[in-house]
Amino acid sequence: MVLIERMRAILEKLLEVFTVFLLLALTCIVLVAVTFRTFGNSLIWYDEIASIGLAWLSFYGANLAAIKRAHMGFPGLVSNAPGPLRIGLFVFSEVIVIGFFAIIAYYGYQVFEILAWDNLVSLPSINLTFTQSVIPISAALFILCELLSLPIAWQKMRSGVDSEHEAIEEAIRIAEEDLKGAQS
Amino acid sequence: MILVIVIVALFALVLINVPIAVAIGVVGVVGVYINMGPEHLLNVPLTLFNGATNFPLIAIPLFIFAGALMNTSGISKRLINLVTSMVGFVRGGLAMVNVGVSMFFAEISGSAVADVAATGSILIPEMKRKKYNPEFSAAITSSSASLAVIIPPSLSMILYGAIAEVSIVQLFVAGIIPGILGGFGLACFCYYYAVKYDLPREAAFSLSRLGKAFKDATWALLLPVIILGGIFGGFVTATEGAGIAVLAALVIGGLVYRELNFKMLYRAVTDGVIQTSVVMLLVATSAVLGLFLTEMQLPQQLAQQITMLTDNPIAVLALINILLLLLGMFLHGAAAIILVTPIVMPLVIQIGVDPIHFGLILTLNLAIGQQTPPVASVLATACSIARTDMWKTTRVNLPMIGVLFIVLLLVTYVPIIPLYLVNLFY
Repeated sequence: MVLIERMRAILEKLLEVFTVFLLLALTCIVLVAVTFRTFGNSLIWYDEIASIGLAWLSFYGANLAAIKRAHMGFPGLVSNAPGPLRIGLFVFSEVIVIGFFAIIAYYGYQVFEILAWDNLVSLPSINLTFTQSVIPISAALFILCELLSLPIAWQKMRSGVDSEHEAIEEAIRIAEEDLKGAQS
Repeated sequence: MILVIVIVALFALVLINVPIAVAIGVVGVVGVYINMGPEHLLNVPLTLFNGATNFPLIAIPLFIFAGALMNTSGISKRLINLVTSMVGFVRGGLAMVNVGVSMFFAEISGSAVADVAATGSILIPEMKRKKYNPEFSAAITSSSASLAVIIPPSLSMILYGAIAEVSIVQLFVAGIIPGILGGFGLACFCYYYAVKYDLPREAAFSLSRLGKAFKDATWALLLPVIILGGIFGGFVTATEGAGIAVLAALVIGGLVYRELNFKMLYRAVTDGVIQTSVVMLLVATSAVLGLFLTEMQLPQQLAQQITMLTDNPIAVLALINILLLLLGMFLHGAAAIILVTPIVMPLVIQIGVDPIHFGLILTLNLAIGQQTPPVASVLATACSIARTDMWKTTRVNLPMIGVLFIVLLLVTYVPIIPLYLVNLFY
């Protein structure tokens, strides 16, 4: 259990650093593009690369949200259900999530054969398999994130914790902490 | 019939706590598999990827980043002080400060919950200390935060604009008059409430204090001027405006005020990344559902069936309003926008409603829906800070929901209100 928790913490940190890097890169791309356009020299690759950057940020960020169990849901009904039903629904919903991303990972990999002959329009030196690699990789990572965060989610489910209520309490705790920090 | 099955399947999955984005994707994949055949499943990853490469949506993470910079570098604090010195002298002024601040800051980090937690943690305890009713304190924070979805830069509008393929800048402009009307309505209610319950003034009006607050906030005020001036003036797009907002916030917070707290900034940015990704995964998986719905021509069929009942725009808009208000009670705003927009758009166009006008109707409806339990995370956060019961607070909140509802009716049936500035400038 300690090993799983350590792996979860490491993966969470790696995803955090990588996604923050992607956000900074995306910001720089937009600012560089605005500067070039202002001086009448638009970058032809701007739209395509920035859009791909957004997709990468979205899918790897979705992994980060998965490991923190922060995806939008409706936990109220399950957390108020009687014990055995709660366990059954929890397991069923986990199976659906993992099954969905297994399908995405499989077909995301299969599609590489088709994309192997295609390159980006604005930067022909970049193959589409590289840009599209985010789909199977992030789908596989999503499954890993889901599994690594499973023990904590299981414990919370067993004790009937409503994840939405917990997120609200956490947001308030952080805000109050920031407030104290700003006042001191 | 297929649409009913899709809706039932979706709700069943959401109710058993499958993340909404995954629930949408699962229904989409099953729909593609059953109706189009297994060979079409190869389109799913491509559609998923294309769904997330929606260029205008780049504005979302950038505005969130700018919001994080503003909150962690003293910019927000100065703007709050300025609002306090401007309206704090009025009876019930603290409630009005709450309206102004909540409207300005709500959704700035991409998470309405985090923003209400941030502003509410400052203002609600202060309101309670000044003998404001705790339920009223929670209700006014929550209602004014919800109104912020139509005040630029609004993440909900960026989302709608990208999905409906309409100008985000024009949506921002369309939100100005309804936003001011809503804010004015809420402020009027605060005044009425303050007089009725003899609530205190903050302090007597002081020109010197206002001058000091204004001077202190001069650089902070430049930020909305640069961003909104650039966007509305047509110099930059919404996405570029968001990029410039990041740069301006970095320069003002980091170099002018020198109060940038990197630890807080890192946490705010990672939270922002999560908020962006949660919404973007919804956008991506809804593209998969859209693949199936479009193949089945379900939105067109729905439009045809409703217009067979009535093609009177007033009646159709009333129907849509009821549907959206109900949906807003059970779904988060972003999820509802992503799901509803592609389905009702053909109907909206068929009855001759301007998509910009409809964007305002949609976002306002969902804002009101966020005030009504069971799914009312903004209200729940405000209640949690004020330590009040959500149902009791909802009762106190009813007049404020009424104000939002009047704005909704005005926006729906007097199109010139949202469209006046749009027609004037574009």
